Amino acid sequence: MTAPLLKIEDLRTYFYSKSKQAFIRSVDNVNLEIGKGETLGVVGESGSGKSITALSVMGLLSAGPGVITGRIGFKSDRVQKNLLQDIGDFVKLTMMDGKVMAVQKDEDGWQELSEHRMSNLRGKEISMIFQNPKQSMNPFMTVGRQITEAIQLHTEHKSEQAAKERALEWLDRVKIDTPRLRFDNHPYGLSGGMCQRAMIAMALSCEPSLLIADEPTTGLDATIQSKIVDLLAELKAELGITTMLISHDISIISRLSDTVAVMYGGTVVETGPAKAILAKNEDLKHPYTAALLISIPSSENIKGKGNLQAIEGDVLDTINIPAGCRFYGRCNRVTDKIKEKCERQEPDLRDISPGHKARCWLYFD
Amino acid sequence: MKSYTQISGEIGEFSDLPFWKKADAIDIVYVSYGLLIVTLVVVSYIFGAFNFLPFDPEDIDLELMMAGPFTGKHLFGTDFMGRDMLSRLIVGIQAYFLPGLLAIFIALFFGTVLGVLAGYRGGRFDTGITYFTNLVDSFPRLVLILLVIAAFKPDIYYIMIVVGITNVPAVASHIKGKILFLKQKNFIEADIALGLPTRTIILKHILWHNCRSILIIQATLGMGEAILMETSLSYLGFGVQEPTPSWGNMVQAGSNYFMKGQFWPSTAPSLAILFTILGFHLLGDGLNNILEGKRNK
Amino acid sequence: MSKTILEVIDLKKHFAHRKGLLSFGEPHRSIPAVDGVSFYLKENETVGLVGESGCGKTTIGRTILRLEKPTSGRIIFDGTDITALDTGELRKLRGKMQMIFQDLDAALNPKMRIREILNEAITVHHELTDADVDKRIAELLEQVNLKRSKLSNFPHELSGGEKRRVGVARVLSVGAQFLVADEPTSALDVSIQAQVVNLLRDLQKQLGLSFLFISHDLRVVELVSHKVAVMYLGKIVEMGLSGRIANKASHPYTHILWSSLVEKQSREAGKKATSVQAGRWGVFDFERPLEGCRFAPRCPVFESKGRPDICTSAASEPVLREIAGGHQVACHFPL
Ligand SMILES: Nc1ncnc2c1ncn2[C@@H]1O[C@H](COP(=O)(O)OP(=O)(O)OP(=O)(O)O)[C@@H](O)[C@H]1O
Ligand SMILES: Nc1ncnc2c1ncn2[C@@H]1O[C@H](COP(=O)(O)OP(=O)(O)OP(=O)(O)O)[C@@H](O)[C@H]1O
Ligand code: SF4
Ligand code: SF4
Ligand SMILES: [Mg+2]
Ligand SMILES: [Mg+2]
Repeated sequence: MTAPLLKIEDLRTYFYSKSKQAFIRSVDNVNLEIGKGETLGVVGESGSGKSITALSVMGLLSAGPGVITGRIGFKSDRVQKNLLQDIGDFVKLTMMDGKVMAVQKDEDGWQELSEHRMSNLRGKEISMIFQNPKQSMNPFMTVGRQITEAIQLHTEHKSEQAAKERALEWLDRVKIDTPRLRFDNHPYGLSGGMCQRAMIAMALSCEPSLLIADEPTTGLDATIQSKIVDLLAELKAELGITTMLISHDISIISRLSDTVAVMYGGTVVETGPAKAILAKNEDLKHPYTAALLISIPSSENIKGKGNLQAIEGDVLDTINIPAGCRFYGRCNRVTDKIKEKCERQEPDLRDISPGHKARCWLYFD
Repeated sequence: MKSYTQISGEIGEFSDLPFWKKADAIDIVYVSYGLLIVTLVVVSYIFGAFNFLPFDPEDIDLELMMAGPFTGKHLFGTDFMGRDMLSRLIVGIQAYFLPGLLAIFIALFFGTVLGVLAGYRGGRFDTGITYFTNLVDSFPRLVLILLVIAAFKPDIYYIMIVVGITNVPAVASHIKGKILFLKQKNFIEADIALGLPTRTIILKHILWHNCRSILIIQATLGMGEAILMETSLSYLGFGVQEPTPSWGNMVQAGSNYFMKGQFWPSTAPSLAILFTILGFHLLGDGLNNILEGKRNK
Repeated sequence: MSKTILEVIDLKKHFAHRKGLLSFGEPHRSIPAVDGVSFYLKENETVGLVGESGCGKTTIGRTILRLEKPTSGRIIFDGTDITALDTGELRKLRGKMQMIFQDLDAALNPKMRIREILNEAITVHHELTDADVDKRIAELLEQVNLKRSKLSNFPHELSGGEKRRVGVARVLSVGAQFLVADEPTSALDVSIQAQVVNLLRDLQKQLGLSFLFISHDLRVVELVSHKVAVMYLGKIVEMGLSGRIANKASHPYTHILWSSLVEKQSREAGKKATSVQAGRWGVFDFERPLEGCRFAPRCPVFESKGRPDICTSAASEPVLREIAGGHQVACHFPL
């Protein structure tokens, strides 16, 4: 593995529900690493904190308390920074049984510092494609204008004409039909998929070192999906863009990723080389990952019109994080031997083979 | 420094707290103060209306002019003609209370109707309403008021109707803007698809859930403005005429003595104006924060 | 033979194309989002609708639900022509047909708690006591697998998948017979996707629902649909039983669509296969043709046949014609 471009350690991002007087532990102890020029695929249940992890890196969380602990090391050719440096000075935690029970945070102070720190990174070094493109674009500006502005702001193409040329080029590159016509469209005049592509064009037009793509292909048809996937692969090969790719589509993840992280209930339960984690008939796997892979519609399913295999049980409630393994209760591989441990004590993320870590008692005694 | 604490103990299903327990302390203070003022105004208004007063507000007592507070039975002292200040302050509320409500009603009612038509129906309605509001906005309010005074008579109700009408464009544009914003989020379409009656969509989903705070703010601001308008006009001599008391003409009458070192007769009504307007504003602000569940930065 | 619940005849919906908010005076161009579409749907049946993004799938759904007034054509639902119903009658109709919206936030008023949203949907077409409503809410939560504790949340506090499940619950609560499901599984993780697919199919079995199932996920479409209709720029170009469409596609577009999926799968297996046909699939900067075959500018067959006039002339626009039992295709040179 090359030197990591992004290294997230012990990241915790909480929200607070006033009406319940309790924390929503959306991201609870996440550790991730993305090597330079590599693509990390992030998969996991919806609600497991994938988007919030991404937003934490971007410093874009709006509700409190937000990020409370962690280190986000960012090391590109131009910049080397810990994005969360000195967060400890702004946050005071009260722990109980290893659990955060109270937080005091100087939110305005942190916001100011973080804004200052991120201002010359966001859009330029790190850019993001959002999950919900229609709401992430300014409804009152034409699509073309928004892209042109981003280009003028973040790249060498300062003149109106040059920036416009670039914008059109990128719109064409993301396969928007009739780019010249769409350039003058407002976001509401575009279909969901077109908006998505416009958003991708906007993020890529600044040629960032790290691209965070939060479900970049949802809502696109198969041909465009495969085009976008090709585009991302091409960018990786040509420009060496490092990507954190969040997606529910395992086929896309497996096509693009070098490493994969599987998230469940606000934490990473398994991480390692894409091949090992996504191979269908590999036994050495976290039970959640295995269950996730089984629920993909297979050709036999389609032919026989059989029902799909969904994971039994309730989704994890991020307010009531259990004391033991987060997957306990839905896990079908608990043995009598480890039952006690699964229920009581949370396993940590440990190597099960070189470069492949998992958070499951099955693999350690 | 903001702090968050999870209630410890058994982690079970967390129940909902009533909204006042979730509110920020400062908002509670604002709202409490505002409610106190509003209650005082309403109660005083009722007392005044039923003539339930310590003294007759127009009763002249030449023996006891310019008395300070707590002189004999005069809790707030007397003015330059020996009339009881407290009674005059209470009766002064009559001058703006009902007229103010009228102004608010006109502004909110017509503003909401026009705003909904412009935002929800759009098209030709929108164009027509925009013309109308631009027309109203293009006349300076004071000129309109003076015109009305000249054409009819210096009656506070006429003035307040003008105040109400001139506030219609502001309310309408707030409501319209909000509806256009909501249409972007297009849950309104989902409501239509669900088969909800238009009535429910407009009254409940749009006005009650999403425009409530706009209306509250506009109402409280409107009352503050009505008070200011009434007192200024009375101060200038266009509003309520002596001997009937109004806070405005009380300040005016008292100001003649201000330079001579007699502060109280003008200060008392000025303070009443200040605290009351402040009360309405803080009430609006606090309620907005509590109901909306967030503080606008 | 079960009865036809929905029939759409030559449906058209054209939008006026405006350049900006303030561009009067300019000549109006209209976008033919849906341009003469006909199909029918039987009771207890699912028709899948696939096609490029922007080809008008959502617009068809919205027009069928009469959220959008059709430019021309007829929609017959359950034996009655609903093309020209007034508002009151439409409202009653909405108890029978519903839509799961593509945009996750669409169905949810940002200022209402989930409980209130569900409560309202449950009571809009049925009079129920509070206890019954509570029971129904519990039932719905279980059906869509949503935690009870989320009931007191506001929509912005939910993740994408959670929002989708609330949307499904809301639509189910009305008790409709016909649903337009506009990408119900997009933005969901595969396991919840599986749940939603299973749920929709179970509901179909239990309640005899009919679906118009719009999706980009070809595997899911193939799995859930009895029939599949493929759209391209506002027109249906091919329609037939799902197995046939997936494996014996006759229209060049359908073929490319499904092969781009296979291509993706073959890449998974580690092979770097580039299909000859998909290689030509790079033209995007073209004007939308308004006559003749809409697919001509990108059609590989059109290219290989030496750009015949029959494909581009207005007089010989390809129309849907039967090539095998129930399999229709609109192309002069079907594969
Ligand atoms: N502003 C917020 N306030 C409170 N809770 C929030 C907020 N934003 C997100 N959450 C909660 O945080 C959890 C994680 O959300 P997140 O959006 O990261 O999920 P996700 O993994 O991206 O899921 P999906 O795949 O559905 O997009 C969810 O349970 C959600 O309810
Ligand atoms: N209100 C509108 N005004 C103008 N044009 C519109 C409007 N709604 C949709 N369109 C246009 O109609 C066409 C079809 O849009 P539609 O949303 O039906 O596509 P779709 O097939 O659902 O695409 P996707 O898969 O991306 O959701 C698009 O070109 C779009 O720009
Ligand atoms: S630790 Fe136990 S419960 Fe958790 S995933 Fe492993 S076997 Fe299952
Ligand atoms: S009609 Fe001609 S252009 Fe159209 S799809 Fe068939 S071969 Fe291609
Ligand atoms: Mg997400
Ligand atoms: Mg759509």
